[in-house]
Amino acid sequence: MNQRDVELLSAYLDGELKPSDSARLEARLKTDRELVSVMDDLRAARNLLRQLPQRRAPRNFTLTRKMVGQNPPMPRAYSGFRFATALATLLFVFTFGVNFMAQQLAAAPVPGMGGGGDVSSFAQEAPAAAESIATEAPATEAPAELVPLPTQQPPSEDSVRTAETPTEEKIGAAGNSVAQDQPQAPNEAQVPVSSVWQTALAAIAIVGALFMLLMRQSAFRRWRSKE
Amino acid sequence: MVNLNEQALIHDAQQGNLDAFNTLIIHYQDSVFNTALRILGDEDQAADAAQEAFISAFKSITSFRGGSFKAWLMRTVTNACYDELRRQKRRPTTPLEPDSDDGEEMDSPRWLADPNMTPDQKAEADELEQAIQHCLNNLPLEFKTVVVMADIQGMDYTEVATSVRVPLGTIKSRLARARLRLRECLRGYAELLPASFRLEEGNTT
Repeated sequence: MNQRDVELLSAYLDGELKPSDSARLEARLKTDRELVSVMDDLRAARNLLRQLPQRRAPRNFTLTRKMVGQNPPMPRAYSGFRFATALATLLFVFTFGVNFMAQQLAAAPVPGMGGGGDVSSFAQEAPAAAESIATEAPATEAPAELVPLPTQQPPSEDSVRTAETPTEEKIGAAGNSVAQDQPQAPNEAQVPVSSVWQTALAAIAIVGALFMLLMRQSAFRRWRSKE
Repeated sequence: MVNLNEQALIHDAQQGNLDAFNTLIIHYQDSVFNTALRILGDEDQAADAAQEAFISAFKSITSFRGGSFKAWLMRTVTNACYDELRRQKRRPTTPLEPDSDDGEEMDSPRWLADPNMTPDQKAEADELEQAIQHCLNNLPLEFKTVVVMADIQGMDYTEVATSVRVPLGTIKSRLARARLRLRECLRGYAELLPASFRLEEGNTT
């Protein structure tokens, strides 16, 4: 018995043969005893399986919302709170990072303690601090005016020394306030973003998160009561 | 289930309505459980696979684009069974049920059986079921899946082909070979078979 005949017989039992194929097979079945025997085998197996009783499911397989991770519908304000909280958290982390970086840069040792160079690099790193110096005392402009002086003279070691010394002295003479402000400037440079802003951002993030939590709890409570 | 009603329930379930899907579950859970049971051969594993199949079906119901819902559901349950079998291969376990004297695992099936059966008839029916399950377990997985869908769930060839995603010709071939192998295996249990199924008597239904 070839595989093709077995397939034909099996499909014939299921009524899945074309009428023409069925007619041909029926004609063969009248004369071929082996074909009949195989068909009986197939039919016996098929009928046994078809009469196998169905078992009842041991429990209900109905799903709960928790099983499928379904969440209750949230009020519209929820998405607004979520956006505000996320933004505030992001900005808080960003400002925290910026302040930290500024502290690191300010704490790093500056090579070649050139007076003018120090002032300019400091001003670049911390514009806020430079700005505060400028507003607090007009004398801060004095170093800027005095710095070019050495470049107009021949670049000898002595002249550089003489140019540097009067600069520092003049700064001191221009006003004690600048001299007093300068040690404070690095401290201010460590926090380019004021702590007031950071506190406000943190407060928004915390309050937003609390509101979201309350909204979720309330939505879930309403949802469960409906179930 | 009225087809129109089923379509409406499927549509609602696709919108996220869990109650509608639960109505479908109640209608199909016996079929799904029995399919898993015949493929896996273990009631607890079959229950787990059926539960997983329904969870997976709900999560992916938007991918159902019409046709036979039963065939779609059966594909989900066979996938869950294949996952379960893969898990078993990775972590083989020992059954907790006590074995009988001849080493066969003892089982007390809860059939949707005729309540008028005598205890003897019930015992014979249980033994026959175990014999059939034993023969099913000996079939290659792809044959077993096809024969369970066609002969135990009564699905037509097109539905089976949709479920297992193979051509119709392959279904015909697998089904024929599965039936022959089952018949060979069941010869060893001739004393359990009803007279009408005994090989020497043939069958003319």
